Amino acid sequence: MDTLVKIEKVVKVYRVGDEDFTALHDISLNIEAGAFMSFVGPSGSGKTTLLNLMGGLDKPTSGNIFFENINLKDLNRTDLAEYRRKNLGFIFQTYNLLPVYSVYENVLFPLLLDGEKESAVRQKVLDLVEKVGLSDQVNKKPAHLSGGQCQRVAIARALVKQPSLILADEPTANLDAENSYQVLELMRDLNRQLKAAFVFSTHDEKVTKYVNREIGLEDGRIIWDKKRDGNGVLE
Amino acid sequence: MIVSIAWKNFSRQGIRAILNVLVTALAMVAVVFNLSLYNGFQAQATRNMIRTDVGGGHYQAPGFDILTPTEWEDTTHKVPSALKKLSSAEKAEVLVQQGQLYPNRRLYPVQLRGIDIDQTLLDLPLDGLKKFDAKLGDVIPAVLGVKMAKKAHLKQGDTAVLKWRDRNGVVDARDVRVVDVVTLVNPRVDEGVLWLRLDHLRNMTQRMDEVSWVAVDEHHGNVDGMKFQSVEQLIADILYMIEQDRRYAKIFWVILVFLAGIGVFNTQILNVFKRQKEVGTLMALGMTPGRIVSVFTLEGSMAAFLSVFLALVLGTGLFAWFQSVGLDVSHLAESTIPVQEKVLLEIHPDEVAYSTVIIVAIMILISWLPVRKITRLDPTLALRGRAIT
Repeated sequence: MDTLVKIEKVVKVYRVGDEDFTALHDISLNIEAGAFMSFVGPSGSGKTTLLNLMGGLDKPTSGNIFFENINLKDLNRTDLAEYRRKNLGFIFQTYNLLPVYSVYENVLFPLLLDGEKESAVRQKVLDLVEKVGLSDQVNKKPAHLSGGQCQRVAIARALVKQPSLILADEPTANLDAENSYQVLELMRDLNRQLKAAFVFSTHDEKVTKYVNREIGLEDGRIIWDKKRDGNGVLE
Repeated sequence: MIVSIAWKNFSRQGIRAILNVLVTALAMVAVVFNLSLYNGFQAQATRNMIRTDVGGGHYQAPGFDILTPTEWEDTTHKVPSALKKLSSAEKAEVLVQQGQLYPNRRLYPVQLRGIDIDQTLLDLPLDGLKKFDAKLGDVIPAVLGVKMAKKAHLKQGDTAVLKWRDRNGVVDARDVRVVDVVTLVNPRVDEGVLWLRLDHLRNMTQRMDEVSWVAVDEHHGNVDGMKFQSVEQLIADILYMIEQDRRYAKIFWVILVFLAGIGVFNTQILNVFKRQKEVGTLMALGMTPGRIVSVFTLEGSMAAFLSVFLALVLGTGLFAWFQSVGLDVSHLAESTIPVQEKVLLEIHPDEVAYSTVIIVAIMILISWLPVRKITRLDPTLALRGRAIT
């Protein structure tokens, strides 16, 4: 598999009051195209920080993050926005849907940002909404959807541009068990169909059953890196 | 794309957007209404002064000052031939002298104002004097304004003793009969004024062919022995008084714009504060901070432009209704402001235009000011709604 993201000796230090807090210590790893993997660990272990750095929402204190050989450190805010628009999809724990937009408009939004005409992509959006099982909710606003339905909209929104990397921060944290399984199944199916790499941050053990690779984080350090073997066992 | 996003955001804000637009629109209407009402006052006062007293200006006798009654006897002048030849529609000869009226045995100092009874330049309801001969009889016919009649406790048909001094300083006295009590819209030609025929007053004071001033329709060039006073000079005190009031109107204008501005500013701050997660999401979706600022500023601008539209609708209705009823200012009848019972709005398009432009510009500016914060937001904090606390 080709390397999609290369993380090289990344350190992230936050200033908290008068003290420095090191969220990530010398992290290095590669993420392949089409991966379906997760960062697991307790709160404060550095999972979300790592996703934010990969997403260009934050910058490392030292070290480098390459996306398809582009060093994110070299990009300014405008370039980083373009990088996210062209290459990434985000799924958040709290869904982060645009509240005044309908399901259809939320999914359509990234395409409009890309300069697409609505008439040209309307069917594509509707197909994706159908794929996430929300055809009958297409005109509803997020306030009228359940948590599981909101997360499905967020998934459709993240995938609509067919990005090569989806970053999902605790995507099942706000969902009950049944909805969590449904969302994970959906993401696994879409990963297989669309070949987009999915990277989760999670402390939800249910996610473990679905991912092909699991990286354990503790206190900002990688403490294990397990891949699923031929027998379907993570080791 | 940015416009359609801004429009969706704005139009779906619901009651917050509606209230914002409504408050701004009402402020605009109030601002224009306030200015137009003062314009109406000023225009009507000016019109009434011109119509009843000032005309197109006065050729005054040298040294004459209406505010110095003790010198009126010394400041008269023969009507120059250049003015004499003007028609009765072009000039009105006026002689002003002091007098003392004794209604009901009380002393009442009055201004004896004699006016050429055939003049048509000034709009004065003095027809009651026309039926009398030029030759003065035993009783002097006089016309009073309503206010003067009320203060002197006189009514039509009443008589009272009048004393005056002729050009030789000799005091004379005779009965005056009130032949008419008329409504004069200009208090300056009503209060304390006893209207007489000019020929009668000249006869009484032995000032044949003399005047205190000649009101004219327009400036007829320099006239020997007379000093021309323009309309602006003659009504300067009224204009000054109204201009003072306009200053209050401007302070009111600033307060209204300030209040409307605070409303929009507050809404925008709330927008940025409450919509931090949305801003973070837009950043995550790849929208540049500059474009996000544009969207939010456009939302504020849309509120401003919709306010202009709403103000136009509300203002048109309100102003049309107001013009049909006018503002009752009968309580000002006791004042010295020469206005009729109802004042109408006088809308100056330039005032409407600059008020609108200034308000819209302020609205756009204060829409943008709080939104600038967005460019400095940390996306990771914004996503969690913690970028601004």
